[in-house]
Amino acid sequence: MSRLADLPPLLLGLVILVLAQLAGLGIAALLHLPVPGVVIGLVLLVIAGALRPTAVLTRLAEPAGAPLLKHLQLLFIPPGVGVVVELEELARSALPIALAVGGSFAITLVLAGRLLQALLRRQDRRRGTSGGGADGEAAA
Amino acid sequence: MSAIVHFPLFGLLLTGAVYAGAYRLHQRAGRSPLLTPVLVSVVVIAVILQLTGLPYAEYLRQCLLLTLLLGPATVALALPLLNNGRALVSSWPAVLVTLLVGGAVSVAITVGALTAFGVDTSLLLAALPRSVTSPVGLSIAQILEASVPLAVVLTLISGVSGAVVGPALLTLARVRDERARGFAIGLTSHGIGTSRALTESAVAGGWSSAGMVLNALAMTLVLPAVGMLMTS
Repeated sequence: MSRLADLPPLLLGLVILVLAQLAGLGIAALLHLPVPGVVIGLVLLVIAGALRPTAVLTRLAEPAGAPLLKHLQLLFIPPGVGVVVELEELARSALPIALAVGGSFAITLVLAGRLLQALLRRQDRRRGTSGGGADGEAAA
Repeated sequence: MSAIVHFPLFGLLLTGAVYAGAYRLHQRAGRSPLLTPVLVSVVVIAVILQLTGLPYAEYLRQCLLLTLLLGPATVALALPLLNNGRALVSSWPAVLVTLLVGGAVSVAITVGALTAFGVDTSLLLAALPRSVTSPVGLSIAQILEASVPLAVVLTLISGVSGAVVGPALLTLARVRDERARGFAIGLTSHGIGTSRALTESAVAGGWSSAGMVLNALAMTLVLPAVGMLMTS
């Protein structure tokens, strides 16, 4: 099967991701940080990718990272199913939850969108409109 | 029947099979956000558990492999951030201000509305990480000692509503810049919203994943402090 030929890069990528996670967990435990170790692992990988000598690590992680991110949702099905356990609590507070989640969602969305649009527009103008901005120029 | 249900890999096979079916259905149905595979799968599997009488705790144990993959998947979120690194760094003041203002408003409204209604603190804590991409939100929920399933479901609801009404809402508010649209969607509706933003354009999708990851990092730092204030 041709799939087998893809296996080594996938495994290598997974090893890099797990090592970054382990390093993050170790750092969080050693320094008693209140931050989840996986998040520190994420930051470590960003730093590794931004520095030239270690940038190759993120390229090697890509074959495992891309499918994991594509099917990220699959990993949340088991905890999501747990809602049957919480259904009663959820139903009892349905209205406040809907208002809090819906309200904070809608207001944050519009506010963040308008704010960033205004800031980016100002930034692009200051840099001169001729190709100064990022690749989102064609948007307006 | 009970021999099949209690087979140690039953949960894993069930979840994989249902997800594969839901994924195909989503593709066929023109990627309708209401048919988001995770939502369909959760409902189908919950029904199957009820019908077969398999306890949730045992199902969760049977899915250990998926739980183990959550860690590396979270670390992999570094990749979309790196892919959009240059555009983000060149606009860092705008991105930072939006991140801070957006995060503060989101937390303030969630806490404000739920306290005004006098909801249990346990529910409030579970609602806090709702705008954070689930792998990180899950770790935050654990640190807050909130109910993890409840937090995951509230996160899913937030993501799906973002994917369903987000783009229309932004158009209504006359946000036309692709970068701003993507970032706002990623900030509020994480992975599910990001997959929707990707269908708008690659730029919107890239900025959406950046918004999602940056928001996760910011919330990791902020929410434990907020949670401590709420419970003290």
